[in-house]
Amino acid sequence: MSERDVTGDALGDATGSAGSVALESLDGATVLRVAGALDLALAPKLRRLAEHATRLGDRLLVIDLTGVTFLASAGMAELVRAHRGTTASAPLRVVASGRIALRPLELTRLVDELAIYPSLSEALVR
Amino acid sequence: MTSPPGFDAVLEAVRRAFAADDGAPAATAVRPLAPAEVAAVLGDHVALAVTDRAVLADLVPGAAITGAIAVAADGGRHGALVYTTAATGATPAALAAAIEAATADLAGTVRRLRSEAAVLDALHSTGRELTAQLDIDRIVQDATDAATKATGAGFGAFFYNLVDEFGESYTLYTISGVPREAFARFPMPRNTEVFAPTFDGTGTVRSPDITKDPRFGKNAPHHGMPEGHLPVCSYLAVSVLSPTSGEVLGGFFFGHPEPDRFTARHEYLAEGIAAYSAIALDNARLYERERNLATELSRSMLPVAPPTPGLDVVTRYLPAATGSKVGGDWFDVIRLPSGATAFVIGDVVGHGVTAATVMGQVRTAVRSYARLELPPSEVLRNVSELIGGLFGESFVTCFYAVHQPSDGTLRYANAGHLPAIMIRPGEPPEQIGEALAQPLGVGSVFPQRTTGFPAGADLVLYTDGLVESRTRDLTLGIEWLLAGIPGLLTAADLGTAWDKLVEELTGGRHDDDIALIHVRHRGEDAP
Repeated sequence: MSERDVTGDALGDATGSAGSVALESLDGATVLRVAGALDLALAPKLRRLAEHATRLGDRLLVIDLTGVTFLASAGMAELVRAHRGTTASAPLRVVASGRIALRPLELTRLVDELAIYPSLSEALVR
Repeated sequence: MTSPPGFDAVLEAVRRAFAADDGAPAATAVRPLAPAEVAAVLGDHVALAVTDRAVLADLVPGAAITGAIAVAADGGRHGALVYTTAATGATPAALAAAIEAATADLAGTVRRLRSEAAVLDALHSTGRELTAQLDIDRIVQDATDAATKATGAGFGAFFYNLVDEFGESYTLYTISGVPREAFARFPMPRNTEVFAPTFDGTGTVRSPDITKDPRFGKNAPHHGMPEGHLPVCSYLAVSVLSPTSGEVLGGFFFGHPEPDRFTARHEYLAEGIAAYSAIALDNARLYERERNLATELSRSMLPVAPPTPGLDVVTRYLPAATGSKVGGDWFDVIRLPSGATAFVIGDVVGHGVTAATVMGQVRTAVRSYARLELPPSEVLRNVSELIGGLFGESFVTCFYAVHQPSDGTLRYANAGHLPAIMIRPGEPPEQIGEALAQPLGVGSVFPQRTTGFPAGADLVLYTDGLVESRTRDLTLGIEWLLAGIPGLLTAADLGTAWDKLVEELTGGRHDDDIALIHVRHRGEDAP
């Protein structure tokens, strides 16, 4: 199953590239691949798909930030929500390798709390 | 391609109508026609006897055709040629005429419905485009262009009312079909008898010749159109009414130099586009209002830094210049009873009025705990617990620092905020408090550090809008900021220097709020 939803900038917010979140099921895990800017514009989309993912009942939720070009606080708030939130049933693993995603997670000490993997294949290891 | 319902029966009937000279049915064949062939052979006809030898030879090469009728169905998307090579009477022409007569009404109806569907399609797509926008200038121009085209007007204009930041209403207009200069010399239309129904929102005005309308030419000084006005004979004017408040947002005016050009259909289209324009304008106005409200709210909650003995304090708050992200950043400068001064900078995730109001409450909470002279780690811990209970899941970054003049120190804690910059005399800028703790609402432990803050030193606190955006990587942004610091310190005026540096770092457009505090420890009047 694959579902792709691109959040555009149709409503006048014309800066930079729009982000996207794509949902797929891989090896019993739900993977949310985030690309582009994970900011206020995209965060609600990530939240909706993360909530949708918990209803799929997979063993694992993986949020893959490999394609992220900008990780804003709003995006990090969604990671915390997916990790701690009352709707979070499956454990969360986050894929982040470059400094663009890692640096903000370090500054906010979210690296202490989130399970972070350098690649999707490593995040999917049982 | 499947045939439309009944088409086979029509063909069968046509085939049976071919009779030999003796009256017996003639042998016939059917040659399907592609849509292009239908158009070429039949034109607008539903049935036509084909007698042109060249055409027949093209369609059915090598056959000695004695009689042929082409029939079309489904508005020309289907067709067939029924022909015979037997000797027949002169039936084809008569038969084709009979079919035409029998189906004329039907064909007319189909054509009308088709054009109706095309009109609705056009209206719908115009509506979608209009209502997906929040930029008022684009909405009004696109709407004017679409409506002028749809009504076949010689020219169209849209006069619309806006309210400026002081609450005064004013009118602007867009033009389509002719250059704007054609109207530049004329004053705004007044609420004359002709224009009144449109500006008052009482109904559409459609006239085959407005100059013959009894309401026309009543007003001095022009008594009609001003000298040099484009000639208007056919006239159509439609109000744009807000769907939420019912107020008149503006009016569309269409003109044509010839009489009787606007039909009920044009009126319907113009009203449709006006309705979509009203929704789009309403959205844009509400969006603008929300943005202004958030900016206002944020500004009103920000402090004027109080005078602080021995310290020069420069602060800046710049609401997001683009988009709707205003409202989350704040700073504060708090004189404490002991003579110490607390400096606070923070960022509430979210935007608009919600973020601005949460920010206001968080700021008040920080202020309250600060006034109790709790140590920085305790201030942040208490606020974190408090907002967890108040707002549920929240994410607020905050750097809290207290300057203690008695021992020349700075005690600070940092809840997930960007590090501060400390510049001591003769030393390169140093980042302090990096990655000390998680944000407020997320973390529960907020370690505290103490560093020297001697006379001659500078402290800079800032929010992420200054150093990162969709196009600026955070790490690089901080490097650029650090590189800009030495220039600041030697500038004649610190405030002006900051404005310049902000401009350089953001390229003049920041799509997130920016807040910053620069504290310079002069030292001379320290107690």
